[in-house]
Amino acid sequence: MKFKNGIKEKNIIVKCGADAIMPFSLMFGFYIICFGTISPGGGFQGGVIVAAACILLYLAYGHKTTTTAINEEFIRVNEAIGAVLYVLLGFCGLFIGVRFCENVFYEFFNIGDPLSAGTITYMSYAVGYKVLTGVGFLLLLMIGTLIGGDDDEEEVEA
Amino acid sequence: MSYIHFPVIAVMGQFLAAFLVAIFGSKSRKASQAITLIASACAFVLVCLLIKPVALDGQIISYWMGNWEPVSGYAIGIGYEMDALGLFFAVLVSFIILMSAIYSLRYLEHDEAVDRYYTLFLMLSGSLLGLVMTGDLFNMFIMIEIMTFSAVGLTAFRNYIPEALEAAMKYLVIGSVGSSMTLAGVALLYAQTHTLNMAQVAAKIGAMQASGGLTPTVVFAFGLMFVGFGIKSFMFPFHTPVADAHPVAPTSFSMVFSTMVIKAGVYGLIRIAYIVFQVMDKSSVQILITAFGCVTMFLGVTMALAQHDFKRLLAFHSISQIGYIITALGLGTALGLTGSLFHVMNHTLFKALLFMCAGAVLHMTGSKNLDELGGLSKKMPHTTICFLIAAFSIAGIPPFNGFASKWMIYQATYEKAVESGNFFYALVTVVAVVVSVLTLASFIKVTMSVFFGQLPEKYKDAKEAPASMLIPMWITAILCLGTGVLYQLVDRTLTAPAVAASLTPANYVDKMMGSGYAASFSVKDAVATAVQHMSYWNPVLWLTLLVIVMLGVFIVILSGDNERGPVLKTKEPVADGKYATFFSGEKYRHSHMGGSDLFWGFKHDMKPYFDFIEEKHSGVLTDYTLWTIVAMAVIVVYTFVFVK
Repeated sequence: MKFKNGIKEKNIIVKCGADAIMPFSLMFGFYIICFGTISPGGGFQGGVIVAAACILLYLAYGHKTTTTAINEEFIRVNEAIGAVLYVLLGFCGLFIGVRFCENVFYEFFNIGDPLSAGTITYMSYAVGYKVLTGVGFLLLLMIGTLIGGDDDEEEVEA
Repeated sequence: MSYIHFPVIAVMGQFLAAFLVAIFGSKSRKASQAITLIASACAFVLVCLLIKPVALDGQIISYWMGNWEPVSGYAIGIGYEMDALGLFFAVLVSFIILMSAIYSLRYLEHDEAVDRYYTLFLMLSGSLLGLVMTGDLFNMFIMIEIMTFSAVGLTAFRNYIPEALEAAMKYLVIGSVGSSMTLAGVALLYAQTHTLNMAQVAAKIGAMQASGGLTPTVVFAFGLMFVGFGIKSFMFPFHTPVADAHPVAPTSFSMVFSTMVIKAGVYGLIRIAYIVFQVMDKSSVQILITAFGCVTMFLGVTMALAQHDFKRLLAFHSISQIGYIITALGLGTALGLTGSLFHVMNHTLFKALLFMCAGAVLHMTGSKNLDELGGLSKKMPHTTICFLIAAFSIAGIPPFNGFASKWMIYQATYEKAVESGNFFYALVTVVAVVVSVLTLASFIKVTMSVFFGQLPEKYKDAKEAPASMLIPMWITAILCLGTGVLYQLVDRTLTAPAVAASLTPANYVDKMMGSGYAASFSVKDAVATAVQHMSYWNPVLWLTLLVIVMLGVFIVILSGDNERGPVLKTKEPVADGKYATFFSGEKYRHSHMGGSDLFWGFKHDMKPYFDFIEEKHSGVLTDYTLWTIVAMAVIVVYTFVFVK
């Protein structure tokens, strides 16, 4: 029992820490995705940061909560949607009559706006979406192999 | 000019379809099949439309992604460059992908979660198309990685079979070693030439060769990339994953794996040796490649002779045929390269057909054991005829296509021996002929033990394969005969332009980097001489002779008293008595002729050799990895010492 209490107290600290950090982590990740085309960062980097929130969730709340909170099938389909969006945005250049992946639609905004980079912006968003779902899915898979850790112990003792 | 967009649409269409299958395929099997069929048919049509401008008119399509063209002589973007060599492989890839997609409709009917199969399958086909079309070394590495990983996933598709997971693991480890070697080679080249564009690298290396030879770093990069693509083409001693992967992989993937995935390695070898490094005029490189090819073809066929598993036997045969291809491309002559590329095409056709026949037998009877099967010709006549055509082709019987390309390879090696006065090449000719004979022996064994002889009791309800499997089989079978008879047409439309493209690196460089670029770096074209490929060879006469002989055989069969029953007459288990020391009387006259019963005398006489190679193929992954690493060390040391 003492051991269990010890774990619980540790859990509270981790939980509070995760609760506090999670919003910032998510916002930071989405910021890097959104402004990646005109500032340091980009879709891939931001996507990984957002996906790392999965680990925070797991560390704080354990395996069961994480897998119930996140629908893996939904994530799997959305990863494919991100990839399809990227390819379709690449094809935009072809539809307009220039090369594949060529940058188009950049003339509607002033330089410095996030959207002023044309299709590159949207492609970066698509990459970000694909990476945050893809890496998130990978992390969930890896967490899945950790079953037999503290969760099972808690269940047995409870 | 709109056709310049076709390569990128073909590649990206496959990837787009792969992701669409991942989205829509999990609910419905029909959706994933429809998407796969549409995507592969589109890719095939797009690639075929390129034959006219690229192969016949001799244009080279250069396509800069996002229109990032070279700035002051430096390539800054990713470029696709499609010359006749790339087109030759792209036609084969898209054809096989289409055939395999049609074949898989019914073949996978007992499997669950086919959307995963089709996702990986489309990733594989997209990466193969991208590999042969790209003009960028790093892009080539990426495509090879996608290809390897989707092939590993497809090998393990039937993951309820433990052997499938083991085979996938072996392929994963050895394939990853190959990818790492390629990446290391690319990194070294980048350090030396400061560019990743193949055309620009070729120009820089051409300049290096004109002024005092290759630097040691470039030689090292060549050794590493040779090993990397050698592993991808599964030449000796990297051939080990193939044999384990084929028996357990779905046949519709086996046919792509055995035909195009290993040809991707061959394509890489041709591309780097002839165009990027331009080292094929060095006799040390010629001997290196030819020796590896020669050992590969002999080892493959002798291992195949000892097999009892239908698909494992075919796997060893594809190693052996890859040996032919590598031997011929290592000669560095126009005739050798023609024979090599023609054999690439022929091997693609007949090996795909053989695997489709093996898959039909496996699908309809549930067995691929040569000792159990027998007498299926009465139950599966279409499969039998297709198999015979493919077996004639692979064994090199005129007028089928295998003969045409093997004949070119014999001529090329012998011509090389006469030209260079090197006894080694004469020996290669002898080995090539012997391997062809052994291939014939091996396929007599398969044909006799699977399709002829007595039908075992348990297969008396076997049926012919469904139409969706027979259609690709017949298309491929007709092409096997057609490319053999009309080899001149094939040569004119596909092979000769591809050979010309491989031997003119300056042309390749100029088209990509702007005209005059190659001359400024003094890239020289090899002298492409017009060759008389097939002296004294008239396929139509041979076809007539074959038809007459076949008619004679049928007349003899029909006029004879055919008392052989369709079903095995002996009730006793076959193994009793047949292998006893003494037996007499007529009791076992109708016993089944198993695969291991044929050529036992040959195997008995060569027992020490067979024991040796079978013991060495231990199936232990660490052994195989050790072979890979040792061979890599040997090749790298060889290139350092002999390639200047």
